[in-house]
Amino acid sequence: MSDIENRTRDVMMKVLQISPQDISPDISRKNRPAWDSLKHMNLMLALEDEFGIEFSDKEIVELNSLHFLVDALRTKRS
Amino acid sequence: MTCRQRKVLTAVPSFSKDLPPTLSDLISASDTLHAAMPPAAPTYRFGFLRNITLEGIEPYLRYHMLRMGLRPDLIFGGYGSMRQDLMLPDSPLVKHCPDILVTALMLEELDPRYGFPGWNSAHSREELNSIFDALSASDAPTISLNTFIVPFHPETGALIAAPDAAGEVARLNEFVRAFVREHSPRFCLMDWDRLAHRIGEAEAMDYRYWYISKAPFKRSFLDALARELMKVVLALKGHGKKCLVLDCDNTLWGGIVGEDGIEGIHLDAHDYPGRAYYDFQKTVLQLAERGVLVTLCSKNNEQDVLDVLDKHPWSLLKRDHLSGFRINWEDKAANLAELAKELNIGLDAFVFVDDNPRELELIRQVLPQVTILQVPDRLYEYPALLRRDGLFDRLITSQEDKLRTSLYQTEGKRKAELNQHPDLESYLSSLGLTAAIHLATDGEAMRVVQLTQKTNQFNLTTRRYSDHDVAKFRASADACVYTLSASDRFGSLGLVGVFIAARRQDAAVVDSLLMSCRALGRRLEFAFVLECMRRIVADWGILSWEAEYLSTAKNSQAADFWNTLGFALLEQTEGRRRYGLPASMPKMDLPGFIHIERE
Repeated sequence: MSDIENRTRDVMMKVLQISPQDISPDISRKNRPAWDSLKHMNLMLALEDEFGIEFSDKEIVELNSLHFLVDALRTKRS
Repeated sequence: MTCRQRKVLTAVPSFSKDLPPTLSDLISASDTLHAAMPPAAPTYRFGFLRNITLEGIEPYLRYHMLRMGLRPDLIFGGYGSMRQDLMLPDSPLVKHCPDILVTALMLEELDPRYGFPGWNSAHSREELNSIFDALSASDAPTISLNTFIVPFHPETGALIAAPDAAGEVARLNEFVRAFVREHSPRFCLMDWDRLAHRIGEAEAMDYRYWYISKAPFKRSFLDALARELMKVVLALKGHGKKCLVLDCDNTLWGGIVGEDGIEGIHLDAHDYPGRAYYDFQKTVLQLAERGVLVTLCSKNNEQDVLDVLDKHPWSLLKRDHLSGFRINWEDKAANLAELAKELNIGLDAFVFVDDNPRELELIRQVLPQVTILQVPDRLYEYPALLRRDGLFDRLITSQEDKLRTSLYQTEGKRKAELNQHPDLESYLSSLGLTAAIHLATDGEAMRVVQLTQKTNQFNLTTRRYSDHDVAKFRASADACVYTLSASDRFGSLGLVGVFIAARRQDAAVVDSLLMSCRALGRRLEFAFVLECMRRIVADWGILSWEAEYLSTAKNSQAADFWNTLGFALLEQTEGRRRYGLPASMPKMDLPGFIHIERE
């Protein structure tokens, strides 16, 4: 698992208040009710803090799975 | 060591730069604090009435509350359904019984015409009036209203000073402020406009989330708002700061009076750097005027410092402003502890200002309860130091506040007299004590509220009441609120005691008994309670009494009060003792040296 994915999972765990085993590789807003719109806002803000980046409004709406998030963060960090 | 040290030797944590660096760190820090919280920690309930998404404040409010040892419990009303949330008896918000209702309203949502050409605030005013009415009718003891953020960019262009929405919003804000003023202290202000303009648009506003989910604020604003709400909670819980302790050299003036002489120090309304110290002294005067006790603690020759206060043409601070001082070469921690003892207030109510990081570090280690502030290296930031964080903010100011300094000075004279008497009894008899005891009047209600909110030491139950609560007691036929105002030949001590009782069939229950610490040590508490009991027995014809002692970290000195008065201990549980007196009056006489004034 990449460093970016590890850190993303760690932030998800703290913000969504879920345990590590609840974060399956295919976790998304569709299959995880705890990841509601309010939590999503905090998650995006926390990831911005964590990686020192900023998401656009379009990204905030579209990045709704672990997979998409890690991809987007990789691109932004490279 | 008095010389100004430019190099900071030890990092001194500042009041406002103490937030974990990222949101997830903040959440974990709160989780850790929460897990370590004792089960008995008090819960404080917030109810938000809103037309925007404000849930983002939760991590900040939670963190600040938990750090103060309080459990936060937040509930948010529906979007734009403020009146239903307040008025429907089964609304979740009403059932939550919030300790404080907090409005979070934006004009964009309150008024559909806002932002159109030619908008005026008439419709918003009507809306607000009806919301304020519903708030007033609620049971919430404390209510905070927000102001609206004046637009950052005038829609008419900035050059022609045309009447615009900004002016109209400013007028609407004045309307909100006026309402808060008229209904203080139950209502208080969250001045969003001031916060947003202080923080700046770029750091305060998150337009991405505004358009995605009606969540307009960034972390700086949410954190600032959470801190403002904390101030309200702390003021209600009696944790406000009461005493300012100032160093002298390079704090009250620039330079060292012992070396530079009274002519050589920098203190001046016109010159750099004396002007910064002069402006700082102005802020000290403002606080003294509001009833904050001002004291000095410095390493100097006492006479040098007093000469500056008495004779320096630009010294705004005079000897009369001081409630006490320790000007000597002893260590400052010991001096501060002595000042706390002399003024009879807790060290956690102290704010200590010094330029020397070593002195501050010593206080931080030895007396961690004391809030410490360092004279900033950037001297131009100094005049704002005491105001910036609102450390001394309160919900109420009363007549007593303005008198406080002179009250403490008279106390000094009394103490000097005490040393001339062979024993306490002879001293007390010589004082000529008079106790005026009567049902609280309208004019006294505010002071009663204030005393319930801030009295910690001689307070049998430490129940904090709002003006709303006190008004309810006073209006009820089955409750009464008595006050004690004391004086002696040195002058008035002011309103120093509150006694609240409620009737329960043939018994009377003492709900609250408290005495301001400046009135203790004169047996006034016995005269007060006996007189109140006598009056209540006469008015209600009750046959017995019940009373309680609820222990806190600060009220151990009152632990045996009911016992001394002859009450029997009925029940003792963790932190609570319940007492009863199976007769209408205790077998104790009024202290003979206190004259009771009945009307």
